[in-house]
Amino acid sequence: MENLDFARLQMAFTLGFHIIFACIGMVMPFFMVVSHKKWLNTRNPLYLELTKAWQKGVAIFFVTGAVSGTALSFELGMLWPEFMKHAGPIIGMPFSLEGAAFFVEAIALGFYLYGWNKLPEKFHWFTGIIIGISGVASGILVVSANGWMNAPTGFDYVNGEYINIDPVQALLNPAWFTQALHMTLAAFVATSFAVAGVHAFQVYRNKRPELHKKAFKIAVVFGAVAAFLQPLSGDLSAKDIAERQPVKLAAMEAHYETDTNVPLYIGGIVDEEQQTVSHKIEIPGALSFLAFGDFDAEVVGLKDFPEDELPPVAVVHYAFQVMVGIGTLLMIAGLLYFISLKYKSLLKRKWYWLLFVFLAPLGFIAVEAGWVVTEVGRQPWVIYGFMKTSEAVTPMPGMEFSFYMYVVVYLVLALTVTWLMRRQIKVLNAVKD
Amino acid sequence: MLYVVLFFLLFSLLLYVLLGGADFGAGIVELFSSPRNKRTTRDTIYRVMGPVWEANHIWLIILLVILWVAFPAYFNVIVIYLHVPFVLVLLGITMRGVAFIFRHYDAIVDESQVWYNWMFRISSLITPVFLGMSFGALIGGKIILAEDFSSYSFYDLYMLPWFNVFTLLVGLFYAALCAFLASTLLIGETEGEVRKIFSRKSAYFTIALVLLGFILIIYGYVQEVLFIQDFIHNPVSLGAVGMSALLLIPLWRAIKRQNRIASRYLAGLQVVFVLFAALYAHFPYIIITAGKELSLLEGLPPHSVIQNLGVMLLIGGGVILPGLFHLMKSFGMIKIFRTGEDEVGQ
Repeated sequence: MENLDFARLQMAFTLGFHIIFACIGMVMPFFMVVSHKKWLNTRNPLYLELTKAWQKGVAIFFVTGAVSGTALSFELGMLWPEFMKHAGPIIGMPFSLEGAAFFVEAIALGFYLYGWNKLPEKFHWFTGIIIGISGVASGILVVSANGWMNAPTGFDYVNGEYINIDPVQALLNPAWFTQALHMTLAAFVATSFAVAGVHAFQVYRNKRPELHKKAFKIAVVFGAVAAFLQPLSGDLSAKDIAERQPVKLAAMEAHYETDTNVPLYIGGIVDEEQQTVSHKIEIPGALSFLAFGDFDAEVVGLKDFPEDELPPVAVVHYAFQVMVGIGTLLMIAGLLYFISLKYKSLLKRKWYWLLFVFLAPLGFIAVEAGWVVTEVGRQPWVIYGFMKTSEAVTPMPGMEFSFYMYVVVYLVLALTVTWLMRRQIKVLNAVKD
Repeated sequence: MLYVVLFFLLFSLLLYVLLGGADFGAGIVELFSSPRNKRTTRDTIYRVMGPVWEANHIWLIILLVILWVAFPAYFNVIVIYLHVPFVLVLLGITMRGVAFIFRHYDAIVDESQVWYNWMFRISSLITPVFLGMSFGALIGGKIILAEDFSSYSFYDLYMLPWFNVFTLLVGLFYAALCAFLASTLLIGETEGEVRKIFSRKSAYFTIALVLLGFILIIYGYVQEVLFIQDFIHNPVSLGAVGMSALLLIPLWRAIKRQNRIASRYLAGLQVVFVLFAALYAHFPYIIITAGKELSLLEGLPPHSVIQNLGVMLLIGGGVILPGLFHLMKSFGMIKIFRTGEDEVGQ
């Protein structure tokens, strides 16, 4: 492998790591303020206990997300100096706004964590709301910057120079809305099911079930609602990609031949050499319909794009299948939760809780898969249609050492955070009701 | 608008050096405390720095974003040639941040605290050293701006500029500055015996700081480092350093008279003078390479970008600064809030 490959691996790995922490840091404050509100309304001490347990989680994840985010803002330049040299000024607006939002979040977090019994109750609770809102705003802004890489706008490209820069137009690029919506919902789905799963496991083990059922309920409602909205947002994304990045759509579907009335493939094994897909399930006309709202629409196949502009098809196709598959599964799980509201006997069944335990990691697998689709699917471009990833990479050799170092450090970090969470739960369970 | 952007660039640099520095310094003070006093120092740091330390470090991100948006050509040189020390800085920031949060938020207090504590202390020392070394590399005159990267060795391009005695002295100087800031800040936050400990610490670190400053200037002069030579021959820079040294006298008086606020402002003002002195002689040529001096203002992006960034910074500043001020006021400057136990830290 070359320097470029290791730089890409490092970027993928560090981003993949950061995304998990950023999602949790973005969504968990909402659980925390709901529980906090319930404490203020009912004065049930369980809610107070839960709020304080969750705020420790928020603090740990916020800091891990913040330091890995600091590392990323350096890495953008350190790994892709040529990209940042040209793109930096154009996408400066979302990043500077994101910096501000992130700052607001840190200030609000300072108030919230250290404000118990010191700030007026209502104001204290309100600072929790600010944490949540500014967290989501940061997420949306960063995704908007990524949207620009997929839909570069707000400049003229003349003789290799990026001129007539319009930062507002770059911020409001055609991809920003669909991507930001999809990612925000995904963050809610993934975090909610993960947190719900952790508490479901405690209910399953019969450790303080009353407390953990309350926690489960708060988390899973967010997840279930978001999971139902996600397919709609996915449809918007697909239509947008079909129009602007047809090659990515073709790679997602492993669709090689240009045709009308194109079937949708579910599953299948991609042979990139032979340019065929075997062992798939076909739904006639469905791809044409999903992409263009018309069963007879023409969808351009991979064979009709220049060969040096094709992304790695198999990776993108598999990642897309994983994402959609998990999304569907979690939607059904959300449905099951709503059913259990009516048929309360379900809540007494062991398998019900065990099911949510198994679902816990799936949302994050889907989030990672989704990023693989959008990032690997854009290759070989870093700025779609304008700059190739290979032109952006740092001239410094030896990226493999840097990559291995990050893998070791971040794995140790991930294991430590997991271990810390277990200890938090252990302490929580040790309290006698 | 360029001036607004430049203002925010220097403002966030100053605040990062000051607030982030005091934060690093707290860890250094703890590192150099006797085992008996380490516990006290640790608790004081948590009480004083806890609510604000995350906000302190975001200045670095703001600084970085301003650099890459408004000064892309300059940023490009930094991220290519300072890749290695930046990796080390990032490692330090990561280790330090997580160690701080782990040691205060771990639900079970057991022997793993020993790990967190040492990780926190050591990374508190090495991070500012590497930060200082990175800055030293920018002004050290050893960076080779290569046209053809393959004609130079890895060592010459990516190691030599930052890995030498001069940059190490800059790094140690910055670390001493951090420790000086932190110990001065902590004096005002404590009473009785503990206060004496921090007063002594503050005296040691002041001496270390002045000594390192002298060695740095003399070494740079002897080794004919352009930055230092110009610095010495620039009356304004020398005057600023002189002012900073003179301020030591009222600072010590303020500390003796237990005037917390005055001592804090004086220490901060000293850093402002040092930073001003360092930047003034060469501004805006803040990269000095083996061949030429690079201006911050070279290769600026189009007017629209600067305009937009300036407006964003004004809006952002308008939102952030009052909030930040309120946060610091609530937890740092005014003591009435500090009654009762910290709920979170237990």
